Amino acid sequence: MKGDVLVIALSGKVIGGPELMEVKSVFQKAVDQEKNKVLLDLGRVSWMDSSGLGVIVSGHTTLSRAGGALRILNATKKIHELFIITKLITIFETFTDEQEALNSFGE
Amino acid sequence: MRPIEIRLPSDTSVLEPLQLIIEAVGKSAEVEEDELSLLSVSVVELAKNAMEHGNKNDPEKIVTISFDIFPNRIRFHIDDEGSWEPEKALGFNPGEGKELLLTRGRGVLIARNLAKWVEFGLTPEGKTRVTLIWPLN
Repeated sequence: MKGDVLVIALSGKVIGGPELMEVKSVFQKAVDQEKNKVLLDLGRVSWMDSSGLGVIVSGHTTLSRAGGALRILNATKKIHELFIITKLITIFETFTDEQEALNSFGE
Repeated sequence: MRPIEIRLPSDTSVLEPLQLIIEAVGKSAEVEEDELSLLSVSVVELAKNAMEHGNKNDPEKIVTISFDIFPNRIRFHIDDEGSWEPEKALGFNPGEGKELLLTRGRGVLIARNLAKWVEFGLTPEGKTRVTLIWPLN
């Protein structure tokens, strides 16, 4: 936790296997523990496809319904491109600076 | 020369090996390092769709990926055992309006944007065949 923001860092490949269910459940656990502001750090994700985007959208919905928010930190150029192609960039605030991202939750 | 074929069960556990194979194919065809993962994302997305929409995720059903390397392009065929059209199978546009928040259905959209040419058609046997062309510089 950084202040009242839960920072979750993903790493490696996000490719659509059972590990995605784990990620999905992390968002629900966060809400269950009343931690509904989540900063998702994608800086160490080397490969991601639409399955990863689906889980991020699911996290956004889960947290928003609980009155919280999901924001994205350090998306690589290629992952950022996926957000643009799918227009998810219009939904998610993305950051490259952690402090700026954390501050954004208070705005 | 006949195209090289990869035959996969409709099981998502094979997607990671497929990603590595496609990047190796790209590397051997001298796809730029920076584009290798874009190529593999495109092919993996289409393979996943073939498993889901063509083969209904039945692990007994096969997705066949074949490729030919030409001097100026790589041509991939992604064949499944069904017969489906992307717009009908999805039934929605994942990039618009309220549907932006759906958790699935973005694979074809991504592949069509990353690859220079993606076309849905049929094999001579009437099964779905997706053709993806990746130009080489």
